[in-house]
Formats: sequence, structure tokens, C-alpha cells
Amino acid sequence: MKRPNRRDFFSRIGDGIHGAALAWLLQGELSASGGRTTYDQKPRDPHFDPKAKSVIHLFMNGGPSQVDLFDYKPELEKHAGAPAPRDLANQLEFTDEVGTLMPSPYKFRKHGQCGMEISDLLPGLATVVDDITLVRSMHGEHFNHEPSLYLMHSGRTLPGRPALGAWTVYGLGTENQNLPGYVVLDDPKGYPINDLQNWQSGWLPQVYQGTKFRAEGPPVLNLRRDEELPGPLAEAERSLVRRLNRAHRDQRPMQPQLDARIESYELAARMQMAATDVADLSSESEATKEMYGMDDERTRAYGARLLLARRLVERGVRFVQVFIEYQIWDNHLNLDRELGYACRKTDKPVAALIRDLKQRGLLDSTLVIWGGEFGRMPLAQVGQAGTSGRDHGPAGFSIWMAGGGVKGGHVHGATDEIGHKAVEDRVSVHDFHATMLHLLGLDPERLVFNVHGLDERLIGQYPARVVREILA
Amino acid sequence: MGIVRVPVGVVAACMLLGVPAVGLSASFEAGVLPILERRCLACHGESPQGGLRLGTPADILEGGQSGAAIVPGYPDRSLMLAKIVSGQMPMGGARLPESEIHAIRSWIDEAGRSGELASATRTTETDVLPIFQMRCGRCHGKRAQEGDLDLRTAESRLKGGKSGPALVPGNPDESLLIQRIADGEMPPPDMLFENNVKTPSDTEVALLRKWIAEGALPAEDDNPVPEPPLAARDLSHWAFQAPARPEVPQVANADQVRNPIDAFLLRRLEATGLGFSPEADGLALLRRASLDLTGMPPTPAEVRAYQGDTSPGRYERMVDRLLDSEEYGERWAQIWLDLAGYADSEGVIDEDRLRQHAWRYRDYVIRALNADKPYDRFLTEQIAGDELIDYANLESVTQDDVDTLAATGFLRMTPDGTYGSATGSIAERFNVVADEMEVLSSAVMGVTVGCARCHDHKYDPLSQKEYYSLSAVFQTALDPYDWRDPTERFLDVGLRSEYEAARRTNEPVQERIDTLKKEFDALVTPHFDRELERRLAEVPEELREALREIAGTARKERTRAQNTLAKQHEELLKIPNADGEWHQIAEAFPELKDTAGPINTRIKELKAELIPEPRIRGVYDLGGEPSRTYLLQRGDAQAIGQRVLPGVPRMLAARTAAYEPEAPREGTSGNRLAFAQWLTQPGHPLTARVMMNRIWLNHFGQGIVSTPSNFGLTGAAPTHPELLDWLATEFLRQGWSIKAMHRMIMTSAAYRQSSLVDPGAAERDPDNTLLSRMPLRRMDAEALHDSILRVTGRLDPQRFGRPAKVTKKENGEIVPDATEKGWRRAVYVLRKRRMPVTLLEVFDAPKPAPNCTERRESNVAPQALQMMNSDAALEHARFLAGRLIDEHAGRPDAQIGSAYMRILSRPATSEEVKLASADLAALSEHWLRHLDESRHLGPRQQAARWMALGSLTHALLNSAEFLYID
Repeated sequence: MKRPNRRDFFSRIGDGIHGAALAWLLQGELSASGGRTTYDQKPRDPHFDPKAKSVIHLFMNGGPSQVDLFDYKPELEKHAGAPAPRDLANQLEFTDEVGTLMPSPYKFRKHGQCGMEISDLLPGLATVVDDITLVRSMHGEHFNHEPSLYLMHSGRTLPGRPALGAWTVYGLGTENQNLPGYVVLDDPKGYPINDLQNWQSGWLPQVYQGTKFRAEGPPVLNLRRDEELPGPLAEAERSLVRRLNRAHRDQRPMQPQLDARIESYELAARMQMAATDVADLSSESEATKEMYGMDDERTRAYGARLLLARRLVERGVRFVQVFIEYQIWDNHLNLDRELGYACRKTDKPVAALIRDLKQRGLLDSTLVIWGGEFGRMPLAQVGQAGTSGRDHGPAGFSIWMAGGGVKGGHVHGATDEIGHKAVEDRVSVHDFHATMLHLLGLDPERLVFNVHGLDERLIGQYPARVVREILA
Repeated sequence: MGIVRVPVGVVAACMLLGVPAVGLSASFEAGVLPILERRCLACHGESPQGGLRLGTPADILEGGQSGAAIVPGYPDRSLMLAKIVSGQMPMGGARLPESEIHAIRSWIDEAGRSGELASATRTTETDVLPIFQMRCGRCHGKRAQEGDLDLRTAESRLKGGKSGPALVPGNPDESLLIQRIADGEMPPPDMLFENNVKTPSDTEVALLRKWIAEGALPAEDDNPVPEPPLAARDLSHWAFQAPARPEVPQVANADQVRNPIDAFLLRRLEATGLGFSPEADGLALLRRASLDLTGMPPTPAEVRAYQGDTSPGRYERMVDRLLDSEEYGERWAQIWLDLAGYADSEGVIDEDRLRQHAWRYRDYVIRALNADKPYDRFLTEQIAGDELIDYANLESVTQDDVDTLAATGFLRMTPDGTYGSATGSIAERFNVVADEMEVLSSAVMGVTVGCARCHDHKYDPLSQKEYYSLSAVFQTALDPYDWRDPTERFLDVGLRSEYEAARRTNEPVQERIDTLKKEFDALVTPHFDRELERRLAEVPEELREALREIAGTARKERTRAQNTLAKQHEELLKIPNADGEWHQIAEAFPELKDTAGPINTRIKELKAELIPEPRIRGVYDLGGEPSRTYLLQRGDAQAIGQRVLPGVPRMLAARTAAYEPEAPREGTSGNRLAFAQWLTQPGHPLTARVMMNRIWLNHFGQGIVSTPSNFGLTGAAPTHPELLDWLATEFLRQGWSIKAMHRMIMTSAAYRQSSLVDPGAAERDPDNTLLSRMPLRRMDAEALHDSILRVTGRLDPQRFGRPAKVTKKENGEIVPDATEKGWRRAVYVLRKRRMPVTLLEVFDAPKPAPNCTERRESNVAPQALQMMNSDAALEHARFLAGRLIDEHAGRPDAQIGSAYMRILSRPATSEEVKLASADLAALSEHWLRHLDESRHLGPRQQAARWMALGSLTHALLNSAEFLYID
């Protein structure tokens, strides 16, 4: 923003400058060295024609068990009760609670025209399998939550790098200038592991950090004052600020950041309206609310947030991430109770989201991603009380995607015969990131940001490839 | 379905006995060789590219210049597969089909187990050392030799421990080492979790067997080989040459030159047909200098004094006054703390454990800057303060001693998750060390070394080996194989007065805690005893006494036999005793909630009052023989490569005196001290340039080199190379005095220019790289935070010591806690990674990981929301309004004038007063109506005036004039 030029100068004639027009001018500013010098969320051209315009990332913290949900392994039944291979035991976190190989206690059935096999725990998802690509061959790098979350959200097992949504909005901006381009919906019942580090901008400018929308009350922090002022009084205060800022700017011509700051105050005022409006679900029909499970205590809260996610992408928000109550998929010791709870809470709303996006014609342009930071072991983990669950399993796990240019009714990759390690058509987290960027029209190699004079990427220096096999 | 609990030892044993392995097998001849012949051997056959042949398993394993092409058993760590999967190989050809990739992957996977490679190469100590270091070293290494066994050297392994020699060369089956691993006894399953150790994999066990079977051969040729000297062309880059003192140029408009800085700048401006902008007006200069040096605007008294000073030299006197102020150190410390990546918590894992003693480093930096400690000394103390003083034998500890040691906190500020049970692996320790190397190199050396952690630097002449040599300088203190996690890495050195203060505070509190604890025990123990006896009645009599004894022994003090028995009766023993967690006690004995509950609460409150004893969070040599240092192939802690010795990068070594460590005394190696001396030697190509560029950057908003942490080949060229060299040499002439350089810069005509844009100059100097004017700058986050407090009269100026805590409000905003006198400066507010203060975060305060070398500036709506709607700014604005009404009762114009003077550091013009009083009148009306409508109970006229004046002060805090610096 250092370079004022003629265009700014002339656009100021008669003080007729319009905020949006100015922002458009600024957005195109490039410094002499070719780098970007202004950072905002105005829409930017992708590298090539995108399939997806927006993303809804349903993040399933804790590590959902692929063995019990997506990846049926008859072989496991043969080995039931056998001790674990050493290479498997070697990767466990809770080395004092190792059980034997444990087949899934749940039934798997084929669904849809595609005949995708998934567990009875997900009856809702079963109705939309023809719209999803299931990736059964994901693999991570670390066996514990925090580093795996960093990896899944920012491409490295260490904190400090920009999140997926931050990269996306840095690359593409966002359609609706009255709402943040990257919105995070967290669960009031519990923060995800790593909390706000999951949606941080790292060394990207702050403007690309995820903005948290809360489930209740004013959706954005400090969107309004604690004490609500009557409209005319609030407007009088705003106009006083406006007057001071304009007088200050008028004495300092050709300083574009002063115009941009005036515009940011106007945007803040518009955001108050837009954010309040989008968070108000009362205008949705009863049928819609019911579809999302808002009539049932078990699904009400999560359903409401998925409905809000739809409303956000409908209004042109680029990237929405929905987090889940703490890490409810981390079912170490009581698979039956905990996994059942997590599925009941999410399955119906998730299916509704897919169906709803589809019926509104939004699914084609919206990439929905469902997945956690890793999967779970085909082994049992047995606790003191004798109940059992499963330990973390980063070597092979499942995620699925829908819409936004991925195939429907498709299964990609496979794990070994006991569901432990991805062996066929393996997809690393970097591959997954590259694929997501590709669907958004961004070349993962070309989406760079200069840090210390070096070009950083979401995929870092890791080998990463777009998983073309799943593209529609 | 039957579920059986099996100890991990049994699991391991089953595997060795040949329970079928799961997976597909692939043989080299049939499955892989045809693919390699088709795709790879053209370049990696007889005349191999990169020294890599791929024709036989042995060749593949031997690898080329980048190390082994595969790691048997670990496809994902195998370089060859990574290159194929990413499509980098075959070079220029199509990516291999998935089926072929799969075949290669399966072969690598199986190769580790199948022994197919067994005949290909001989295994030596180099191959098994990582296994010992990772799986056994915790108990049989440098720090502990359980059972008298030390596995570090060939001699100590043969000597063995209490049970005899660890191995019998040539006979794996007879070797205790293999037996103990095979029967699952070692590493002990019950200690794996707490020690962060994993059992060896099948591949590793196979490797150990093979090594022993082949005679436990020693390491082959692992004497470190120094890197060959660099070619002249690699050394020709400007930043690798020592700065030479340039002639001060002659310029046409000599009257615009106040000091040599101006001459260098003017020469380029004049060449473009430009000159400096006119000098800024007096009050603008006062405000600029104040914010630059103290991070806060001048007070009304300072404004009046400056206006009243009419004698020559008032500007220079003002700069000197600011440099002498205590606030100077607080301001510039923040800039340095960004570089160090300062934080008061460890981060990485959810616990985000607090660093109780980090603040001593922050205080050190503030004191050092205020004392104008010469920069060479400043750096030396931060890199090797512990080697400067014999801290173990101090007769009495002075503040200087504490500071010199606390200075080493510089390389202890990066995120460190190694205190977590699942994030303390050797690989993660190497990550911490790598982060510290990043801090060191980016903050003070001006080169990026991070890339060379995994491969030779692509652009700068820095090899991977040199990276590990640099890192080895620090291994005597930061040793991943002999690690101190952040809960145990301290120096117990402190001022006697601090110990006494802690004792004075703690003794009476501890006494009360002890008394209460006795009461608490007396309440709980009978319940515990009763419950234990009830349960014991159900087990055979002969076990009762033993179990009773176990129940009365703390977990850690139990013998092995007791542990075994305890394990068998885990449920029985699960009764919380008086030392247990309160929630468990309350659950087991609900009848205690009303009696013991309040006592427990009180004990907790009292414990929070205890002050930790003084400790120093720093870097210090651990003593003893340091672990060997190796290059890690691809940065992988498990892929140990050539051995390296401590050393400095060749690109800088060529122009500097040698790096020659010498131990200053017993117990410390002198490695870091020698490094600091090497770094601060006169004529070092980078040290002075890098620091001068940073000082410049923080005065002018842009550096002479625009990539302040990268002076290498990918960094930006200096806009004014001679100026940079002149400043660097002047810095040394001034005895590395930072304050002298501030004074030099700030008294230049360049710094005193107006920031108004001249359209003609803007046309010729569009980015203002020539400095044809002073850039308009925005306050950074801390300056804004501190300035709001200062101008509204809410600043608690208390210096140093433990940081002010932070709180998450109900709406999610994170705010600093108030003290009795107000709020402290941001530099004294707790920097907890998971609890960043919202105001600071919104205004671009960094989230250092590992550090922040340059702040980015955003201009976004959440900043407006924060300033307009957050209680924080609003409350302060109203506080100020109330004061103004008190001070100028009944004189609204004086109230307005005073608001301008305090917030904007200048008098209001009469036009501004007129406009503001009209605004105030209108706002008062609005507020009155609002108070009426909301049935406000107090006096409404007074309240409405106060609120209206609050709206005005709040608007001034929201004004661009407050936030921006002319």
C-alpha cells in the first residue's frame, strides 16, 4: 500500500471516491518487485477455471474410526483376538492398554446405485453415497492429536503455519465483501484441540485468519457493543468518527491506506447487518430445520450449525469450517457408547447438508469435506473397566468429499487387509491439500507467499500430487 | 466377541515367533527390476546421475549424493519413492502408473522384514546406533545406566551390566540384548509411555540381529570430513564481503545535509531530480520521536515543554531525553522479543504450559537496551552468557549475574512441546533445536538456514552438512539424545533478596496449607482405611498385608514386585487416598463434600498465593561427553548420516577469523562462546549490517534491505549499499552503541522530513524507496494498546517482574487483567500462545512460531469492530471523559481542548472546537433520550453529558490521526 499513483489521485477528484471502487483499485496494486503489497479479501482470479467456488470443511476432531465406519475388513474377523503385529504395536500411544485385533462390531451394507459399503452407524450418509467420493487410503505422519491437527490444517506437524482457509482466501479472496471470507463455526460444548491455532493465518496477514461465528448471541466478536444503542445515537457516533477521519485524510492526500481505513469502518458497519442476518435461522422453513435435525435434541445444535454453513456459502463466503464438540471421535476405551454418540450427533445433519446443497444447485460449486486428523487402529484398546475402544491410527484412514468437482459414488484407495495401513492409491495429507486447491482453481505450486525471501506453499516442499482419479 | 488384554511383550514375542505378517510381498527380481529397467536405469545405470545406481538392491541401499535411496521397511521415508510419487522422477518423463508405484512401495515395505537385503550390505554400528539412542538411551545411556548397563560404546556393551555382556558378537540368539527385546521385557512396557519411548519395530529388531550375527562391526569411517572450501564465485555475493567504509558523497544541496546519512540519500534523490521534503512541524516531530522511541505519544506536559523550549537544539535534546527514558527499553525490547519469538507458554500441545520464568529474559532485554549495552556484548550474553560466568561457584549473586544467565533465554523461546508424553520424541526434540537455529540465523545472522536441514540449500552456498555443523555448536546444551524438557531445564540461580522474598511470602502460607492439609487428611484417611479393609476382606488372607503395604506406598516408590502385584489388583487398589485428586475423593466418598470440600478449596487458593523460587530459564552446557552429532538425511531423525563437528558456514568463514572453541572452565565446552566471538568479530560480513538494517527498518518502516532476515542470494539487494556499509562501520566506531545509532538516524534531515505526499515526487519515487519523504506509519499493536492506556490515564507504569495475567471474557474476547493501579504495558502482559490478547491480535501482533522477523500490517473491518465496540476502548474513553469533566467543570470548550491535547498530542484548532461542541450538543440530546427511554435511574442530564463526552473521546481514539504517525 506504499505506492500512491495517478489513479488514486484522480479517483479522489471531487471527493467522489466510492469505497468499493477504491478497494478495487488497491487490490490491483503490485509493487515494483512484482509481489503483492496490499492484503484484502477482494475476489481474485484463480489460476485456472475452478470446479469449486467454496468449501465446507466438516472437521471431525479425534480421529473417526475408519474400521467401524467406512472400511469394512472381513479379514479382520479371521484374525479376531490375535495379538498385534509388532510394527503395529510399535505405533500405539497407550502402550499399556494394548488389546488384540478387533473386527468391527457393526454391520456394513452396500448403499446407493454405486453400492458403496458403509457401516450401519451412518444411515443418513447411506442415503447420499452416490454424491460422495470416499477416500480410504489417507495417511498421516504423527500418532498424536496436536501435531496431526497442525498437519491437517496447515501442512506441517508444527504450529505457526497458515490454515487451509487462510491460504484459500489469500489466493481467491471472497465473493461477499460484507462477511469474512473464512468463517469458523466451533462447538459451544467444547473447543477443538489446538483451539484457534487451527484457523490462524500464520505468517499470512491477519486478514486471512478464520473469523469465529458463535452459535448464540452476536455471531462475531465485538460485532455489537454489550449495551445496545438506539440507531440514531449509534449513527451519530459513527458519523463523528467518519468526520474526524475524512478531515484527517483530506489534509493528507495520496495516502491510500487512509482511504482504505475509512472503508474498513464502513465495512464493519455493513458487517453488523450482514452477519446478524446470516446467523438468523428463523426465516428457514420448518421442513428444512427438521431435515437438519433441529427438532431433535441430539442433532439440534450441530444441525443448526450446518444450516448456518449452508447460508454462509449461499451468500458467497469462500471457506467455512465446522468444528465439533472437543474431540468426540477419540474413542479410546468405549467405542460403543462414544462412537454411537458422535454418529448420532452428526449423521443426519451431514446428510441433510448434502441434500440441501444439491436441491439448491449449490453442491456443484461447493466442496464438502468430511474427515478427522487420523483414523484408528484395528486393534482394541482395553481400559481398566474392561470396555474397549481403539487407539490412534495415522497409517491409514478414511475421509470423504462431495460436490465441488469430485466424483459421486466413488471409492478411492484401500488399506491393507486389516484396515491398518493405506496401501493402494495412497493419499497423503499434502496430496489432499493439493487436490483441494486444484478444485478451487489454484495451482498448489503457484500459490506462494514470500517469507524471509523464500516462497512458502501450503504443500511446503513436500511431494504432493493432485489426486486426479477422484475428479469428476 | 472376546477381548483379551495382552501385555505388549507378549505381542512382540508372538511376532518374532512368526505369527503371519499382514501385507503383500513383492520380490525385487520379478516385481521391481523390470520397472526400474524400463524407467530409471537409463540415467541411474552404468554412468549414474547423482552417483545413484538403481540396478541392484545393494546399489539402491547404498544410494547416491542424497543418501540411501530407500529405507527398508519405511516407504514413506524413502527418497526414491518420494521422488517417484511426486512426479519429480523420472526426470522429464511421465509419472509412473499407480500399479508400478505400488509394486515399488510394497517391495520397500517388505525389504525391511524379508531379509532380501541381508546379503547385500554389511550392517555396522552406524546402522544400529539410532536404535540404541532412540529405544534404549533413556535408561542405558548418558544420564542413567540402569542395571549398570551402558549401551553407548562397543566396550560398554561388551562389558555389559549386572546380568552380563549385552551381546555376543556373531550370535544373536545368545545375546541378552536380543533376548530381552524378543521376550518383551525391554524396553519395559510399563515405562514406555512416561519415557516417550516406543518398542523397536520388526525392521529394527531384524537389523540388530543381523548386526550381531555379522560380528557387531564397528562404525565404518565416520570420522568427520570437513566440507571443501567454496569456489570464489560462491563467495562473490555482496553480503558475504566485509563492509568497507565508503566515502561520504558530495551533493548539490549541501544545505539539506545534517549528517552523512543525508548525503548518501540525497545523492540518489538528486540523481532522480528530487530532494528531501520540507521538515515536519515541531509537534509532529515530537509525536513521531516519542512513538518511535517509547511506543507512546507525548503527554500534554511534554508537548507544552517542547513548545516552550525556544533555544537552539531543542529537537536533539528531546531525542536524548527519550533515549534516556525507561520507556525506551520497553519499546525496543518488544522489537527484539519478536526476533527471539518470546512467549510465556510452551505451546505445541493443548496444555500450553506456562513458562513461569521466561519474564527474566524479557527484563534482561529491557535493562540491557536501557543501559545501552554494546551490541557485541548483548549478543554474546544471549548466546553464551552461561559460559561467561562460573555460575556454580558464585559467592554472592548480583543482578548482573542473573541477567547474564537469563540472557541465554534467547534460544529457549520457541514452542517446545517436549514436556508432553506424546510429543517428546527425539524427532520432536530435533524440531525444537531446528526452531532455535531458525531464530538465531534469521534474527542475527541474516541468512536462512532452515532449508538446509533437509537438503543442501538451493540458492545460498550452504550445504546440509554445514547446517548440522552449525546446529552441533549448540548440542552440548541442546542435545536431542540427552534432553531436558522445559519442566527440567533451569539454572537455580537467583538473588538472595528474591529467595528471601519468596520465603517471606511462602512460609506463612505454607504453614497454613500444612495445617489445613492435616485437617484434610484426618477427615479423608478413616474413609480410605475403611474402604480398603472392606475390599481386602474379599482377597485371600495371605495377600492382604502385601496389598495394604502397596496401598500405603506412592506409585513411584513401589518396587517392581509391588508393581506386578498392584497390576493384578488394580481395581481393588483404586481408592483415592488423601493425596489423590479431589474430584475422585468426592466421587468415592460423597459424604466428605461438605466437610473436606471447603478445606480443599482453601488449600487450592493458598497454593495460588505461593511464589515460585527464582530460577533461570536458559541454555547451558549439560557437561560430560556430548552425544555425537550427525547429519540427518532429509532431516529425518531416524536417518542418521555422516558425522559432523561444530562449525560455522563456509560462506562467512572465508572472510572471518576461524571458529576455535576453547573451554573457559571445567564443565562447559566453550562452543557457544567461541561462536558468539566469531559472530561479533569486527569485519564480520553480516552481524553489524543486519542489526543496522533492523534499526533503520523500525525508524523508517522499510529496510535498506527489504528482506531483513535474508541477506543471501534470494534476499533483496540494498537500496543504498554504501549507506548500509557506512552505518555498519559507524556502528563499530561507536562501540556497538545502539543508542548512538538511534541518535544518528533521528537527527538526520531524512528522518525529520514531512510525511505529506508531493505528487511530483510520488511520480518519480513511487514506492518512496529513495525516501523523498517520511512514510506515514501506523502504530503497531503494542503501541496502540499502550497509547490508549497512556492518553486515558489508565496506565500502570510498574516495570519488570511476573507478567500481568489475561482473562477470556464471556463474549470470547481476551483481555489483560487490571492491576490495582490500572493496566500494564503490553510488554508486561502474559504472552500465552493459546490466549492472545484480542486487541493485540487484531492489530497484527505476531504469533511467533518460531519467531517474527517482520510485522505485516493489515487494515481490516475487525479492527474497526474492536475499536468501536469492545468494552476495553469504550471504558477507557469514558474514564477519560469523566476526568475531563472533573478537571474543567462547566467549561465544555476546555474539555474538548484537553481531549485533543491528551489523545492527539496537539491543541485543537478553534474550528475543531466549534465542530466538536456542535457534535457534543447533538450527542447529549441522543444520550438523554436514550437514558429516558431506558429508564435510567441516576441523574440523567449529568450522565448524558458524560456519555456524550465519552462518545467524543472514544471517537478520537478511533480516529486515524491517533492511530497513524505523521
